[in-house]
Amino acid sequence: MDFSQNLSMEEAFALAEAEAKLNAALQAASQRFNDAKIPDRYNEDWRFGQPAKHAVALAEILKTNVPARGSISVKCADSEVVMPVSAEDDELKETVNLMPTIGSDALLGLHIRRFGEGICLMLEENTEIKQPIIITYETDGLYTPYTFIMAAPGAKARIEEHHKCADGATMFCVRNIHVMEGAQIAVELHEHGSIDSRCMNITDIHNLGGAVQHFTSHAGHAWAREETIAEVYAASPGTSIELYSANRISGNSVLDQHTHQIHHIGGAKSNLLYKNVVDENGTAIFAGNIRVEAGAHCTDAYQTNRNLLLSEKSTVHSLPGLEILADKVRCSHGSASSPVDEEALFYLTSRGVSRANAQELISTGFLEDAYNKFRKSFDETYTSGLPD
Amino acid sequence: MSLIIKDLHARVKDGATILNGINLEIPKGEVHAIMGPNGSGKSTLSKVLCGHPDYEVISGSAELDGQDLFAMSVDERSRAGLFLAFQYPVEVPGVTNANFMRAALQARMPKGEELDAVSFYKEMRSKMKSLDMDPRFTARAVNEGFSGGEKKRNDILQMMMLNPSYAILDETDSGLDVDALKIVSEGVNAMRAPFRSFVIITHYKRLLDYIKPDVVHVLYKGKIVRTAGYELVAQIEQQGFDFIKSEE
Ligand SMILES: Nc1ncnc2c1ncn2[C@@H]1O[C@H](COP(=O)(O)OP(=O)(O)OP(=O)(O)O)[C@@H](O)[C@H]1O
Ligand SMILES: [Mg+2]
Repeated sequence: MDFSQNLSMEEAFALAEAEAKLNAALQAASQRFNDAKIPDRYNEDWRFGQPAKHAVALAEILKTNVPARGSISVKCADSEVVMPVSAEDDELKETVNLMPTIGSDALLGLHIRRFGEGICLMLEENTEIKQPIIITYETDGLYTPYTFIMAAPGAKARIEEHHKCADGATMFCVRNIHVMEGAQIAVELHEHGSIDSRCMNITDIHNLGGAVQHFTSHAGHAWAREETIAEVYAASPGTSIELYSANRISGNSVLDQHTHQIHHIGGAKSNLLYKNVVDENGTAIFAGNIRVEAGAHCTDAYQTNRNLLLSEKSTVHSLPGLEILADKVRCSHGSASSPVDEEALFYLTSRGVSRANAQELISTGFLEDAYNKFRKSFDETYTSGLPD
Repeated sequence: MSLIIKDLHARVKDGATILNGINLEIPKGEVHAIMGPNGSGKSTLSKVLCGHPDYEVISGSAELDGQDLFAMSVDERSRAGLFLAFQYPVEVPGVTNANFMRAALQARMPKGEELDAVSFYKEMRSKMKSLDMDPRFTARAVNEGFSGGEKKRNDILQMMMLNPSYAILDETDSGLDVDALKIVSEGVNAMRAPFRSFVIITHYKRLLDYIKPDVVHVLYKGKIVRTAGYELVAQIEQQGFDFIKSEE
């Protein structure tokens, strides 16, 4: 703590208290990592996710201390906003220590041991960045970047994150998105995989009264896991979190997606739409939970998972969940998985489109729907602004 | 050159036989009307010709300009020049009308050639205009949320875009308002040509007053039971199908 500033007695006490709290939290956090077990089949959050295969494999390479092999590029109209993550940045590291996971504390702990790569975006108060900010992480080995996005009150921006893995590579990214009052942020994450590549993302979205739209897409990875925790801590009019995802899973690929929509406080809205097109021997796992904490009255929270199965060999596990501890809450969850509608296929082919192309048109349209909703929602809040 | 159907028997897959020996010849350049009571097999006949998976051919043949129709896949039949405007056009969520038509036209291009996007949109817009359709429909999902009449118009738009040699219109008039009926009929009449035939399935004289058929058939219990000229339309309008039913 820096006492060189002239603080009043009370301020100094308050600061000391805050620091003590943080230290306690950090201690608890490190204890949490020490205690955490590499996910195994008793870990409910890894149900259907074959932890013995995937979590163990990821933990093994993380433990080997192989150096990071990756590159970062950032395109941003305002270079002031962008800062690389440095291993010495203890304050930033603390934010990772405190991050929740969905069943993967041990893996997060291993990620923290490698802390020191990534990008920090500090979006300033009441400023708008018109051009999308584009972050690209690429690896042909093992890469464990950290993305930190802080949107100060009233900040507006669109962020695109691209993760690219070469054959056999592994990308494990931890992401923290803080959205302050009146901020409007859209973040899209595109995972580009390759033969035998793997990726994992743990994303924590802290909404303190802004609007955030989050979109993810996966294509090509042999294995991908996503844990997305979206939390509302403060609400003002227009406070919302929207989570979208659109993915193609084929070959023997596995996409294992877990989400938590947590409303700590009432008066906000969250919505989720995750869509998958699953082909061949692909497997899609979706486990989503909406939690409305006691006292978080007047919450709207929705969740939809939809899967299009292109092959009889394709597998889907969809586990939507609700925990509502407050009143005057509007919540719904739904899940649907079905093959491509034969009538629709017939209609398209009856106009001369081949069956394969017709299926492709329908699949693309199915996934684009999620992306279009994400963009539309962003464009609407972005142009109209949040209500005052 | 014609569409020739010989002794066609077909049934619902693992179900009832619907078509009991259809014989029909539609020469190029002619307009034929098919009438007949509800449930007589008119839609089944048109869907069997297109290769709808719900039905199977038991016996008989269908030739399209000398090609064996039943040896072709659904999409091949379309590219060979067959078109069916459905009695109940299907909704296809997520696929826009423009993308659909682009894919359908692209499928007709020689390998390696790309459809020109600009002229495609121009053509689509102008055809939509002639059908009095909102140009924004290009960006809407195929038939999704369309009204009954809008769906029918959309099928006619597809026909205009694809320029088939044999177009079957299955009750295109049902669901169209008076003005739309006129617009659609004018569109069909404008497409009448020596290299194209139409099969118009309808219950009403009104449509056939606009699109005058050269030949009129009556389909009853899965068979063509009467073939005559335009005068048959008036007779059916006045007397219903009783005179045919009583003869059978
Ligand atoms: N997929 C199907 N499954 C079961 N029955 C069918 C199927 N398709 C047609 N049928 C039956 O076959 C018969 C003929 O139906 P079709 O739709 O061809 O009649 P239609 O002549 O077009 O009648 P409408 O004038 O009412 O349109 C009907 O009895 C119908 O119920
Ligand atoms: Mg019918």
